[in-house]
Amino acid sequence: MMKKSPSPVNFWRWFDPRNRSISTWGFILNRVTALGLTLYLFMHLIVLGKLAQGAEAYDAFLEFAHTPVVMIGEMLVIAGGLIHGLNGIRIALNSFGVGVVRQKQILVGLMAAALIGTVVFAVKMFGS
Amino acid sequence: MIETPSVAKPREGTWLWLFKIVAGLMIVILLGIHFVVNHLVAPAGLLTYADVVRYYTIPFVPVMEILFLVFVIAHALVGLRGILLDLNPSDAVLRAADILFILIGAGFSIYGIWLVWAIVQQGRAL
Repeated sequence: MMKKSPSPVNFWRWFDPRNRSISTWGFILNRVTALGLTLYLFMHLIVLGKLAQGAEAYDAFLEFAHTPVVMIGEMLVIAGGLIHGLNGIRIALNSFGVGVVRQKQILVGLMAAALIGTVVFAVKMFGS
Repeated sequence: MIETPSVAKPREGTWLWLFKIVAGLMIVILLGIHFVVNHLVAPAGLLTYADVVRYYTIPFVPVMEILFLVFVIAHALVGLRGILLDLNPSDAVLRAADILFILIGAGFSIYGIWLVWAIVQQGRAL
C-alpha cells in the first residue's frame, strides 16, 4: 500500500460527484450517515440525562420533542439509521466476498427497503 | 539512485475492523428493537417518562440497552477513526485521536450505564 501524504483534499473528494460509480455512492452515503448518526448519538445521550431528573423534566422535554421541527429531525435519524444499517450489512457481506458481483442491485434493493421503512415510521409518527 | 516507495502497514488492524463489523451487525438488531419500541409501538412516536421506567422493569431490557449503548459508542468511535484515516493523519495526530476516542468512549459508556441504573432504581420505587 502506498502511503499518501496527509491532505484535507482527500476528505473533500467524497463530495465530488464526478465519475462516481453506484458503489462509490454507497460508500459516501455510509460515511455521511455515519457522521450524522454519531453527532445525534452523543446529543441523544446528553438529552436522556433528563430521565435522571424525574418525570417533570423528561415529560417537559417530550413536549418540545413533539414539535414538527424535532419530529422531522427524528425522522431524519430513523432514515439515516435504516440507510446506514442496511448499507452496512451490504458492506459487511462484500468484505467477506458475498454479493460482490451483484452489489449494485443489492444496494438499490436495500435503499428501497430503507425508503419503505422510513415511510412506515413517518406514517406512524405523524399520523398519530 | 532509485527511490523505493514507502510502504505503510494498514492503520486499522484486522481485529478493530472485525469488531466494527460485528458490532455493526449487533447494532442493526438492537437498533431495530430500539426504533420499534420507541417510535413505532409508543403512542405519538415517543415513550413518556412512565413508559420508559415501566419498560426498564422488564428484566432483560437494562442489559440489552447497556449492550446496545457500549456497541453503538464503540462502533461510532471506531468508524470516526476510520474516517480520520481517510485524511492520512500523522502518527502523532492519530495517537492523540486514539486517546481522545478512548476517553470519550469510556466517559459516555460510564454515563450511560449510570443512567440505566438510575432508571432501573426509579422503576423499583414504583
